[in-house]
Amino acid sequence: MIKKIKYFFNWILLLGSTALVCLVLGVILWDIFSKGMASVSWSFVSQFPTNGMTKGGILPAIVGTLLLTFITTIFAVPFGVACAIYLNEYARPSTLTNIIRASIRNLAGIPSIIYGLFGLALFVQALHLGTSVLSAGLTLGLLSLPYIITTTEEALKRIPNSMREATLALGATQFETIKDVVLPKALPGILTGVILTMSRAAGETAPILFTGVAFYINGITASANQEFMALPYHLYMLSTQHQAIEEVRPLAYGTATVLIMLVFVLNIIAFYIRFKHRTQD
Amino acid sequence: MKYYLFFLIVLLCSCLGNHDTIKIKGSDTEVNLAVQLAESFHNVNSDVFVSISGGGSGLGIASLLNGTADVANSSRSIKQGEIELFKKQGAQIDSFIFAQDAIAFVVAADLPIDSISTTDLANILSGKFKNWSAVTVKDIPINIYGRQSNSGTHDFVKKKLGIDFTPYAKQMSGNAQILEAIKADHSGIGYVGAGYIAGGSKTLKVLPVFTTKNEKAVSPLDSTMIAAGKYFFQRPLFQYYKADSYEKIKAFLDFEKTDEGKKIIHASGYYPVIPN
Amino acid sequence: MSVKKRENTDWIFKKIFKATGFITIALLAGIFMMLLYNSIAFFTDIKPLDFFTGSQWNPEGTKGKYGIAPLLVSTGLVTLGAMLIAVPLGIFTAAYLSELAHPKVKAILKPLIEMLAAIPSVAIGFLGIVLVGPGIAKIFGIQNGLNALNGSVLLAVMALPTIITISEDAINAVPLSHREASLALGSNRWQTIFNVTLPAALPGLIAAVMLGLGRALGETMTVLMATGNAAVMPKGFLDAVRTITATIAIEMGEVPYQTTHYFALFAIAAILFLITLAINLLGEYFANRLRKFHA
Repeated sequence: MIKKIKYFFNWILLLGSTALVCLVLGVILWDIFSKGMASVSWSFVSQFPTNGMTKGGILPAIVGTLLLTFITTIFAVPFGVACAIYLNEYARPSTLTNIIRASIRNLAGIPSIIYGLFGLALFVQALHLGTSVLSAGLTLGLLSLPYIITTTEEALKRIPNSMREATLALGATQFETIKDVVLPKALPGILTGVILTMSRAAGETAPILFTGVAFYINGITASANQEFMALPYHLYMLSTQHQAIEEVRPLAYGTATVLIMLVFVLNIIAFYIRFKHRTQD
Repeated sequence: MKYYLFFLIVLLCSCLGNHDTIKIKGSDTEVNLAVQLAESFHNVNSDVFVSISGGGSGLGIASLLNGTADVANSSRSIKQGEIELFKKQGAQIDSFIFAQDAIAFVVAADLPIDSISTTDLANILSGKFKNWSAVTVKDIPINIYGRQSNSGTHDFVKKKLGIDFTPYAKQMSGNAQILEAIKADHSGIGYVGAGYIAGGSKTLKVLPVFTTKNEKAVSPLDSTMIAAGKYFFQRPLFQYYKADSYEKIKAFLDFEKTDEGKKIIHASGYYPVIPN
Repeated sequence: MSVKKRENTDWIFKKIFKATGFITIALLAGIFMMLLYNSIAFFTDIKPLDFFTGSQWNPEGTKGKYGIAPLLVSTGLVTLGAMLIAVPLGIFTAAYLSELAHPKVKAILKPLIEMLAAIPSVAIGFLGIVLVGPGIAKIFGIQNGLNALNGSVLLAVMALPTIITISEDAINAVPLSHREASLALGSNRWQTIFNVTLPAALPGLIAAVMLGLGRALGETMTVLMATGNAAVMPKGFLDAVRTITATIAIEMGEVPYQTTHYFALFAIAAILFLITLAINLLGEYFANRLRKFHA
């Protein structure tokens, strides 16, 4: 009898933990979406903030986030994919390769604010790029590098060696093998990694704090050396620093909703790509 | 591959594009006003971009030093130490006063007190008086609602009264929060920019201030007295900039001086600059 | 294309790819150098003893005080609280997912966990201000809920997906033979899970906890928004605290470059870097033990 209670308790422990975790996710999404959807409308995403940002929309923040993510991606992807290609296709197990791999793992664990400091020291100060969307984008690019390298390497690993050997046997050079056979096959996996990186970069706040984000800009950021607005920073500002915190609370919820929707859409796209190509193997 | 190179070139070209942005950073007291000015400025002059950030008067001046801002909003005057840093750089600093601000001391409307002396304020805020019975008939402890140390407003009150705030003063992060707190706590006293309480309130009241027994108490909501410079806690709101970037920011500074700019400043609860 | 040209292209690209490999080392070295250089500049101004044992962090006060102790204790307190919540929750959820869950349930739950991981830290911090904070205030009857407890709860939410995913991998990696042997000897599933499978997965579980810990330590926005940001020595979970990450975020914008305060922020960043480095290395060590065990 006591045993039965003990087993029941064990069930509750495990099932309950899982249920609690799901509940947490549910509460987060429910709270944000239920209070945010009221603010989200076409005019919300297509207009500028007005009246000292207590009314109006969040267009510049959306554009800023998209521009920032774009810059991050075009700098991080080539370097990241190239590094992964090197590690998986060319590198022979040696001390150097071990050091590179160890560096990548450690870089992945460094807090994002330290990347922000590095971006400040390197891009804003040393390279004189000033506080701009370019500095911030490059900083986020560095932050994303370990993630892209790891996911690309996984994608490359899944390609069976027999393919490479067959291509080489037919007389192709190693570079041609990679370019024409391995990469195209690994593309879905690489693309998944890139999209997930974009979703992470879109949500990051700490690295952009001192590298270029601004509270308010009265136009659309059009060139890379300007400051910019961004969704995560906008949410942070509306909920902590704004002069009329209670009044703008609905706008804050709306911003949170748009941000999470953006991130989820990217994740779902990545998930779909992964799903579709997994069933093909 | 080809598309990638194309994007890169487009991006680099846009780098060279000359979209001048005026970067304004600093005081949280002034940031709201700056945002509204920038919003209207865009309607008048859509070529010039203005980017604004808050963070405190200290941040504004630091950004000016670091070259990451063109204009520093500051609700306090520049410190000697900061002037030294600018001198070290060889940069010359000019300033522009764009509004006058009055600090209002606020209590609950039902507190039996009609005006207050600066001596009493000093004693209350430094913690010497802990109970309202020291200045009025009611016997309840005093609860102070103030700002944090990066606030120019906090700094200004401290300096004007020549005291150090008692560690028991609660540090709120904005003017609106202070008012909310006193609405809920009728034993409270706090200080906010006059603009925040100019609309009047049924539950709160502003205490006129006098310095000596014979003087008539002056209210921060009295614009004539403010224009005459008679209110004890009135201060200019500064904008500092490096002398050699004047050309760049001239357009925006000029806008602040126009009628429309002045209208916006007044609507935010600030007073026009006293002409000397 | 002639063979010579193709071979040349191949050779060029081999060199290019090799060069990119060095970027990662250069990046890590660059970050380390930057922290080291600025920390040394700091220690020429302030004695290390004052830094490590000083009980006040007040750089803008009348006499600049640069004691890291309140920040370290704050960071430790919030992280400890987060781990106390997240570790049991995470490991039990992982156990459920890998041992008890029906495959269809698992197929739904795993994406849900990934969704939780995808939520940006600002959004979680935002909920700390509007939802969890008022809740804590109501439960404990205090003025407002921006304190270490709030931070711990939110950090736990952020660390959970990491802990769950890696723990689940670790538990899955325990060979079926272990479970079957246990059942063959007459144990039931509970005894198997708690006495055989989980202990066998221990290195991997520790790795999961270490990585979750690293995540919690490095988090900035969530603690910035939810913990009240008072740079004093906390006395309990209901006190406002300020972590190292929040301090850097708040103060970095306010300092003129190349002043003592500026260098001080790099110094505390260096301490944070070393702590997370140590934890990540520990986690890796245990992850390797897991791999060797099952390889």
